[in-house]
Amino acid sequence: MSSSVNLKKYRILVVDDEKAIRLMLLDFLEEKYTVRTADNGDDAWKLLENDHFDLVISDINMPGISGPKLLSEIRKKYPETRVALITAYNVDDYVRVAKENSITNIIPKTVPFNFTELDALVYGLLSGDVFGLGKYLDDGMTVLDSTWIKSSYEARDARERVVDVLENKFGTSGDMKLIFDEIVTNAIYHAPTLSDGTEKYQEFSDVTLEPQEYIYVECGYDNEKYAVSITDYQGKLTKETVLYKIDRQITGEGLLDDSGRGIHMSRLFADRMIINIEPGKRTEVILLNYFSHKYRGYKPLYINEL
Amino acid sequence: MECQNDDVSKQEHCSRKIQVSKRELETVFDAIDTMICIVDINLNIVRVNKGYAAFVGREIKALLGKKCHEIFFNCNSQCVDCPCLATFKTGKAVVNKRFIKKNPEDIRYFEVKTFPVLDSSGILVHVIEFINDVTDEKRMIEQFIRSEKLASIGVMTAGIAHEMNNPLSGISGTAVNLLEKPEKYGLNDKGISRVATILESAARATVIMKDLLHLSKKNESMHILVDLNRLLIKTTNAIHLEGAGDIQKKFILDESLPFVHCDPSRIEQVIMNIVTNAIQSVMEKKLRMSAEGKKYIGRIVVGSQKQPTTALITIADNGIGINPDIRRKIFDPFFSTKPAGQGTGLGLSVSHRIIEEHQGRIYFDSIDETTKFSIELPLESAGTITKEE
Repeated sequence: MSSSVNLKKYRILVVDDEKAIRLMLLDFLEEKYTVRTADNGDDAWKLLENDHFDLVISDINMPGISGPKLLSEIRKKYPETRVALITAYNVDDYVRVAKENSITNIIPKTVPFNFTELDALVYGLLSGDVFGLGKYLDDGMTVLDSTWIKSSYEARDARERVVDVLENKFGTSGDMKLIFDEIVTNAIYHAPTLSDGTEKYQEFSDVTLEPQEYIYVECGYDNEKYAVSITDYQGKLTKETVLYKIDRQITGEGLLDDSGRGIHMSRLFADRMIINIEPGKRTEVILLNYFSHKYRGYKPLYINEL
Repeated sequence: MECQNDDVSKQEHCSRKIQVSKRELETVFDAIDTMICIVDINLNIVRVNKGYAAFVGREIKALLGKKCHEIFFNCNSQCVDCPCLATFKTGKAVVNKRFIKKNPEDIRYFEVKTFPVLDSSGILVHVIEFINDVTDEKRMIEQFIRSEKLASIGVMTAGIAHEMNNPLSGISGTAVNLLEKPEKYGLNDKGISRVATILESAARATVIMKDLLHLSKKNESMHILVDLNRLLIKTTNAIHLEGAGDIQKKFILDESLPFVHCDPSRIEQVIMNIVTNAIQSVMEKKLRMSAEGKKYIGRIVVGSQKQPTTALITIADNGIGINPDIRRKIFDPFFSTKPAGQGTGLGLSVSHRIIEEHQGRIYFDSIDETTKFSIELPLESAGTITKEE
């Protein structure tokens, strides 16, 4: 995913008060990138004042200035710098803090640490090259199915096919049937809008989509997980909306909300949910399930808006 | 009652008074909830109250002259430590004897008190037995003690568990880095194998931490209406332990059980814990029996039942049973009978916490080698959805 490009030009700053974490991230990331570390927010500022960084990955709970505060200040002073939080705590507990500081990526410190995932996230944040299953599966990935959904009728068809393919291949499709419906329903009925901003199609009605509204579905696997990607070419979803909805569902405030449940359920049922947004152009929801519970810990928050 | 006068009419009057008095006493005798039974020296029933007759489900007349142990415990021989005989022997009251009534469907606990009944010359002729059903009380007290204990441990461990995640992630991540590029860190084969061990240990520590967090905190929990019968079948059948293939599994499910408002993944965790324990108990028994050259068929019965306000789930096995010495401890965190490294000792305490979060109850009965775990989850009177045909 990141072979031919010279990645050493990208400079990453890792901020964490736990030495083992700092060194672990340094050892891994410096294989490809230029990496500096700091063990607290104040030292991080000093490094930032002297050098440009493309990405800052910061722990949340540290002595002195907290991670979210640090990243929020960085975003103000260095708007070009990308940011991500990393935590050993429950990511859900920090979605609100993330939302308040416009931070869209929180990496969980799993045991063992999930370097494949970190690799994909860091590359995506630095290059902006985030779309497509290939970014999240190993180089040796296999594509099982890819298809265009052109009508509400075809959506059901596509779902059955994806579920069948996964069940035949792996004996399970997780709760993909359920999640698939939620995400595709969003893509068909909530993405296309009229010029006045209202939704073009009535929910659950029989719909034949216009060519520019077609939805692309792809599913594949590598040696530790399978994945399904669903892309609409409207790009109407914003990171603010996603954060708002996830936060409301986590806190229970949105329990009765009609919208937002799909995103929340997907995050709950799938091992990983990644949302990629190119405003006005496309929205991709990627759902990943691991074959075994290898990585123990909490689920991340991954939203990339270009 | 004074009946010293020889006058006939006075005698009749006295007799009527006695009759009235007797009826009053009988009414009181029968109105008492407590089961009362009067027996003679041979443990033959002389008199019982309505409460007693109702409990054993027979007419009072049919009980008179029968042995009390036959009627109450369905047992041909007299009870071990029979309190009635003790009273006959010592002439003194015996209190707080606990007895268990075994019945495949239901296991109940009784508190028995016996008092001597003397005739006019002071000779002990009968013993009167008061029997109270203390099953519910016993279960409530046990549940309360467990909750208290777990709550305090929970608060303490929450912080520790969270903080441990951080170094554990660093340890495991560093180990992965070393294993990925051993030459970069000057690691030989021996070093590689040692680092691999570190990684395994870190993973194990994480499992314990995760269980501890379940104990101490309401994790993300999603309550929906769940078909418990389906969940029971799905979860039970999903457990595959090596060598457990020949265990007979039976489901006795109440089709009228409505959907229950609960967190399916967490209830699944509870069922999984208990069924796994049951299977392991049966496997252990099989091992012991085959060592003695005896035949044995392991059985696990998973049941559900709609009760007036709750959904009852039962998981019963005929494995090795729970030793009376450890019955008080089995819900304690870190208590395990499994060999070191084969269980965290958190399964039942986590299950207890989960059921408590659902405002339900979890308890067990273990007599001889039959163990039955019961889980009660509240049914909501309003908003309960019954299954559609």
